[in-house]
Amino acid sequence: MLAFLRKNQIALSSCFCLILSCFILTLSARGQLRNEPVGVVLMWVLRPLQMAAQGTANWFIGIQENYLTLSGFKSENERLRKRIQTLEVERQRLLEAEATNRKLQQLLDFRAQLPGKSLTASIIANSASSWFQGCILDKGSADGVQKDMAVVTPLGVVGKVVSVTAHSAKVILLTDANSGIDVLVQRTRSRGIVSGSLDSGTVLKYVKRSEDVQVGDRLITSGLDGVFPKGLMAGTVIRVNKQNLGLFQFIEVLPAVQSARVEEVLVVGVGAETVPAKN
Amino acid sequence: MYPLAMKISLLLFAIGILLVILQTTLQRLLPIGPVVPDLILVLCVYWGLNHPTMGAAIGSFLLGYSVDILSSQLIGVNAFAMSLVFVAVYLGSRSIWLHHPLVSSIIVLCAALIKGAGLVLVWVVFLSTEGFWQGALKYIISEALIAALLAPFLFALLARGESYFAKPGPAAQ
Repeated sequence: MLAFLRKNQIALSSCFCLILSCFILTLSARGQLRNEPVGVVLMWVLRPLQMAAQGTANWFIGIQENYLTLSGFKSENERLRKRIQTLEVERQRLLEAEATNRKLQQLLDFRAQLPGKSLTASIIANSASSWFQGCILDKGSADGVQKDMAVVTPLGVVGKVVSVTAHSAKVILLTDANSGIDVLVQRTRSRGIVSGSLDSGTVLKYVKRSEDVQVGDRLITSGLDGVFPKGLMAGTVIRVNKQNLGLFQFIEVLPAVQSARVEEVLVVGVGAETVPAKN
Repeated sequence: MYPLAMKISLLLFAIGILLVILQTTLQRLLPIGPVVPDLILVLCVYWGLNHPTMGAAIGSFLLGYSVDILSSQLIGVNAFAMSLVFVAVYLGSRSIWLHHPLVSSIIVLCAALIKGAGLVLVWVVFLSTEGFWQGALKYIISEALIAALLAPFLFALLARGESYFAKPGPAAQ
């Protein structure tokens, strides 16, 4: 028996891992896998590494931008170039600080409009898989973040918190195929669900063929899902196809927020109810 | 103190964790669109081909699991897919002799297709398949091609790192 186990240990351990992953999948699909210790520990271990990696990425982007800015000064002599380089780095730092200030000021202004409790968080990592659209925030339950809180920016909806550890939170983005946000077409008040899809980007689902939806229509959150305050911008209609068959129209949507470019977000509590939509 | 196989497993797992973190920042660094290069897949294939041990099987599972923790709301998808890839590579490794970079590309391409099939299977069982098939095909093919392109470079880097690691220190000499 022992010899058999030893001889086939790799195959057996592989099968064990496969069965274990199926078991985890089943628990996760049933919603019974909450705050499992391995995930919490892993998030705790990875958080500083992710923050460092994000910092390094920002540094590289800064360097790249500096390089592009400096490419026009090739004819200058060495001393001036060095001087300009130093000044440019300083300028870049100040511009970045100014941009950050502006973004934070916008967030603060927007936060003041939100009726419920909200807090500011930074995105420290994006999804590691092409199949799921998500990100990790640097705030967790210790800061007041809870599951099912809305994640927004002054431009509109980013996503929803799906799991939380003490110091980080996982967010499912609006563009994920498994997300779903109840929205209204601002012009006609037709209701639908905005969701991502692997096939065709972000789409507006379940809008009857008889409803009047046009390209350029703005979609705002309805507030009926109990997650997002009413009136937040979700996206703009970019294509409408009234198919020959079926009950519903096929509507493609451009999300209001390009999440890959977002650095700071607001996490909004369930208490938030109505936000005046910006024009 | 520890056998070399265990040391290499730990080294590859540590590299895997770094690659997971790299994958989470790649989207910001490179204008690559929604497809994230699957570096973990390449690592698991390398692991399965060159060091198929019990530690490698568990390591592949844990790396997939860490991708799940950081990315998907359905935990276990990538853990399942990586375990599946490891099993396939392990079973295939008995008849594969890796002697050319092109071979590594082909193996990784096949492994990526197996992973894609695993993901589709899980998706069909547990998630909604509305608006799924074309996108899934697009992701499977593009991920497989990118992984196959990256495989020779990553294989060479890993082999180089491993040879430094396995080199006996002055005390051992």
